[in-house]
This record gives sequence, structure tokens and C-alpha cells, in this order.
Amino acid sequence: MNLSSLGNHVERFGLVLVWLAVIAIFGAMRPDTFLTWSNFSSIFGSEAVLVIVTLGLVIPLTAGDFDLSIAQTLTFCSMLTGLLSARVGIPIEAIIPIALLAGAAVGVVNGAITLYFRVHSLIVTLGVGTFLHGITLWMSDSQTISGVERALMNYVIIYRIFGIPVSFYYAILLAALVWYVLSYTAFGQQLLFTGRGREVGRLSGVAVGRVRMAAFVASGVMGAIAGILYTGTTGSANPNSGTTLLLPAFAAAFLGATCIKPGRFNAWGSVVAVYFLVTGINGLSVLGFRTYVHDLFYGGALVVAVMVSQLVSGRKERTL
Amino acid sequence: MTRLKGRLGLASILVLAAMLPAAAQEGVDQARKNIESYSGIPEFVPPGEPFDAKACMAGKKIFTIPASSSIPFIKTISDHKGELAAELGFEHMEWENQGNPTQWIQGIEHAANNGFNLVSLLAGADPRFFEPQVAQAQAAGVKVVTSHLTGLEQDAPAGVDAATAIDYRKAGELMADWTIAQTDGKVNALVVVSNEALSTDSIVSGLTEAFETRCPDCKFEIVNVPITDWATRIQPTVAGALQANADLNYVIPIYDSMSTFVTPAIAIAGRAEQVKVATFNGTPFVLDLIRQGDVEMDIGENLDWIAHAMLDAEMRLLCDLEPIRDSKVPLRVFSADNVAEVGEPADAAKGYGDAYVEGFRKLWMVAE
Repeated sequence: MNLSSLGNHVERFGLVLVWLAVIAIFGAMRPDTFLTWSNFSSIFGSEAVLVIVTLGLVIPLTAGDFDLSIAQTLTFCSMLTGLLSARVGIPIEAIIPIALLAGAAVGVVNGAITLYFRVHSLIVTLGVGTFLHGITLWMSDSQTISGVERALMNYVIIYRIFGIPVSFYYAILLAALVWYVLSYTAFGQQLLFTGRGREVGRLSGVAVGRVRMAAFVASGVMGAIAGILYTGTTGSANPNSGTTLLLPAFAAAFLGATCIKPGRFNAWGSVVAVYFLVTGINGLSVLGFRTYVHDLFYGGALVVAVMVSQLVSGRKERTL
Repeated sequence: MTRLKGRLGLASILVLAAMLPAAAQEGVDQARKNIESYSGIPEFVPPGEPFDAKACMAGKKIFTIPASSSIPFIKTISDHKGELAAELGFEHMEWENQGNPTQWIQGIEHAANNGFNLVSLLAGADPRFFEPQVAQAQAAGVKVVTSHLTGLEQDAPAGVDAATAIDYRKAGELMADWTIAQTDGKVNALVVVSNEALSTDSIVSGLTEAFETRCPDCKFEIVNVPITDWATRIQPTVAGALQANADLNYVIPIYDSMSTFVTPAIAIAGRAEQVKVATFNGTPFVLDLIRQGDVEMDIGENLDWIAHAMLDAEMRLLCDLEPIRDSKVPLRVFSADNVAEVGEPADAAKGYGDAYVEGFRKLWMVAE
């Protein structure tokens, strides 16, 4: 293995190595509590929603678009699930397709305004997200809705495989799906072309508009899945809480773009990034650090990882 | 002589050893007594002397700025104040907002420019964020008060004319008492707080004092999670504490809306049987969580009662009567034993009796 190939590997798996190092450090400091299966079960099982939101962001980001409405889509679909289950009494298996359709509809609205009015997706999705939040507050009367059918919780956090709540496996299955679509399908390649240069894509025969629309719809559906799982995780629907997931999800998406396939938003990189950040936060909590230290870790890890990645790729460019 | 000293020493140790369990049991008994006395329907205690509310409020106007109109707890109080003002025949306006301090500032300026006599900063609209505007409004002849913001022992903040307080300290005490009573004095708790809320100091001091006086051997750790981080930080914080402390038997989120992020952490850790949740506020969805078995105890306040008490204090100030500091709004402990009284789904105003409705009307001299 030559030096350049080693450099590539370090760049691809750098974050994984740092993640392992973080586990080793916390493990050495608190082996009795940190290095336990129950702790890793907690780490993996608790952040499935964040993984799915991040994956949802990765799709339009690959196509060069932002979806700032995804957190509000999550909150809206979570509230829809909560209200239909707890207040209307519809069985959960009937609610899931309704919520998924609602998420897809949000994607269609985002895509239609962005494409037909040629407005930047950042502004459109910000506006649509804020509008959705208004609808969520209106339909819930600003109330947290509890009394959701217990079956949803069972199929999200109560049932376990190898001690880890099943929601983790849903997130991993979705990551595998996104990875496959982005890496091995024509749509995935078209998405990448669109993101790298719309004009070039168009001249190469890619239906850029349709591809971008599909990315928005996929993002909306991911937001809806995250919303359903969020309701299953908390056992209730809160009209505000999902909104705070937006920035951590963007942080994870950008951090994920520094590993596995450096320079590209990618599914497995995003999964690694989320669990790297969650492991850090969990370790700090186990050690009893105060919550402001969590912010220092979160922000610091993101900036350092991007800096290191930039350094490595800069060195590579100079070598070329 | 040395032998005598040794015997005396041994005797004192034995006496102390005999006394310690008795003292510990006394603390547990006291905690149980406190919980019992707050578990029934509360009595109405008049906060002051009767006065002719309709006559003295004629032509006067009250302006309420809630901390956020999107928080049901606060919005309900504000709406009920408006209904009571209409009943008493004077003007009341609520400044609808989303919890942004710049909106509070716009509100107080609107009140000062539009002839309102009193601005009520309700349930979290903190005047420390806009002290110059408070002073300007006061200079324009508007009285500014905080309602349901401070504890009984806390001073009125930022130079406001009066602060009508809630017994937050007692709420803190009752949360500690519940855990002491339920565990027979073997509490090992994680207390989740948000330091930026003014009421937190009062709640935490009540809780700490209850543990120190009634259960010195009880263990508790306090962690701060800022309000804006509840959705992202409470769950990992509680999960971390559950891992770090295998003997943890209670999580005490001091505001019950935090519970929605506490219960998943306990469920994911598979510790729902050992770790219980005791909290404060009486928000309806948390009362429903008691029914489902996810939360063990919630200390509630009746929102309609709060609306009556806050408006009563504000009217007294405008009628040049003695300002009311203690609103006498009671607390009630809800658990699986009495949660059925709040209705299904839970109603914020049910479960407290209705003695206050007639009581306040008598005070305001409008009872038929």
C-alpha cells in the first residue's frame, strides 16, 4: 500500500477511527458503565429519528438543494399520527400510509414552488416549514397529545433485537436503501450529476427538474417516517420538539460528508456521524459533565472534522 | 478513668445508632403526612379582604403579556382572565406572541401608548429582559406586575410594581417528599432543571431543603438542561445518568413537559420497573401519562384558579388595595390513586373542586 492509498483510507475512515478512539477513551475512564451492552443499546436505540432526518437531508443535498422543512414535516406528521390515534381512534396501521402521503405532499409542494417559480430551495423550504409549524400548532391547539396506541411504542422502542430497540434497525435499513439508491441506481447517478452541475446534467440528458422533485418527495417521506417513529419513541406528539432536530441533522450530514465517501453527502457517513456525536454526548453524560460541555463537543467535533478533512483533501490536491 | 471514657463513648454511639433510624423514620413519616395533606381537593383560602371589583374597575384596562401564546398552560390562564374581565365589565387584552422577548417589548409599548392601566407579565414573560421598557411604561403611569413568575420568597424582579407569586418552594418540597415516602427514605434521584427560569431557584431550594431535613441519606444529583435543548438533550442526559448510576430509582423533571423526553430514555434503558418519574405542573398530557403508568406523580395547579387569583391581585393593585404577594393558589398531588378525577383525556381545570369560583365572586362582591 503506497502513501497516497493510505492517505485515502485515513480520510475515508478517519471519523470511524476517531469514533473508536472516543469509545476507547470513555471506556478507559468508566469501563464499568460505558463499555456495557446496555449503554450501547441506549446509544443505538435512542437516536434512530436523528439518523432518519439526516438521511432525509442527504438526498436533496446530493441534488444541490436544501430541505429546511424536514424538521417541521417530522413534527407535522408526528402530530398527525398522535391526533389520528389518540383523538380519532384510527388504528396505527391505517395512520402510517396517511402520514407518509402527507410527508410526500409536503415534498411535492417544496419541489413545485422551487422548480416552477425558480426560487432557491433554502427560502422555499424555510417558508413551507414555518407554514407547517403554524398548521401543527393550529391542529394541536398547541397541546402535547398523549394516549397514542401502545402498539406504535412496541414496534419502535419496546421490542428489541439483541437488546437494541427495533427503531435502530429501521434506521439502518433506510440507510442501506439510501446508500444503494445513491450508489447503484441510475437515479442516484442523476441526483449526483444534478448536484454537481445542473447545466451539465441537463446537457447530458438528465431530467433535472424531475430528479430534484423526486429528491424533495423522498425527503418529505423520510421526514414523515421520522415523525411516526418520534411519536413511537415519546409515546406522544409535541407541537414544538421535533424542530430542534434540524441543526443536529445538518451537522451530522456535513460531518458525514467528510468520511466513507469524502466530499459527498453519503448514507453511511451520515450514520457514522450521528453515532459518533451521540457516543460523545453519552460519554460526557456518563462522566457527569454539565450540558454546556455537550455543546462544546458537538460544535468542536464538527469544525475539527471538517478542518481535518479539508486539510487532507488540500494536501491531496497539491500532490496531484 | 480511661475505661469510663471508653464506656461513655460506646454508650453514646449506641444511643446515636438507636436514634438515627428513629430520626430517619420521622422524616419519612413527615414526608408521607405532607403528601397526604396535598392529595385531597384543596380548600379555598381568600388572598385578601373583599372589595367591590365592578365599581372600582369601571373604565380601567388590563393588558396581559403571556410568556408564549403557543404554550397551552399559559394561553389557558390568559384566556380565562379575559373571560373574567368580561364578566366584571372591564377591558382586558392579551398580547398574542410566540415567546420572543422582542414581541414582549412591542406589547409593553403598545400598552403604554394605548391607555392601559396595568401590564401583567404572565407566567414567564421575564421583565429582566426589557427593564428599560418597564421603566418607560411606569413613567407613563402604567403599573407593571409579574404574575405566576416568582416564588413566595423571591423579590419582584426588574423594579416591577408587584409580583404575585406561587408557592414553587412547596412544589419542590412535595416532589422530594413523594420520593422519600415511596422509597422509605432510600431515594437515589436525578433532578432535571432549567436554570434560566426564575421559578427554578425556588423549586430547587424547596426540594433540596426537604431532602436535607427529612432524608439526609437520600442521594440526588441536579442537572441543568436549558429550555431550548429539552428535545435534544434531556433524553441523552437521562440515558447517561441511568448508565452511570445503577441504583437510580427516581427521575424528577421539575417541569412536567420535560417528561416526554425522560420516559423514552427510561424505556430504552429497560428500567421502567425500577426508575419512576415525579414531576410538577399538572399539564393535561402528563396527567394522562400517569394513567398510562409512564409517570408516577404530578403536582398540579388549576389553571382557572390561577386566572382568578392573578386577576384578583391585579385588580387590587388598580383599586389601591394592599398588593397580594401570596396568590394562595393551591397545589394538588396527582397519582394513580386520584388521576381519574381529572377526566379522560385530562382537563387542566378538573380535579380541584369548584369552591374557588364562588369564593372569588364573594370577594369581588358579585355573588348572587
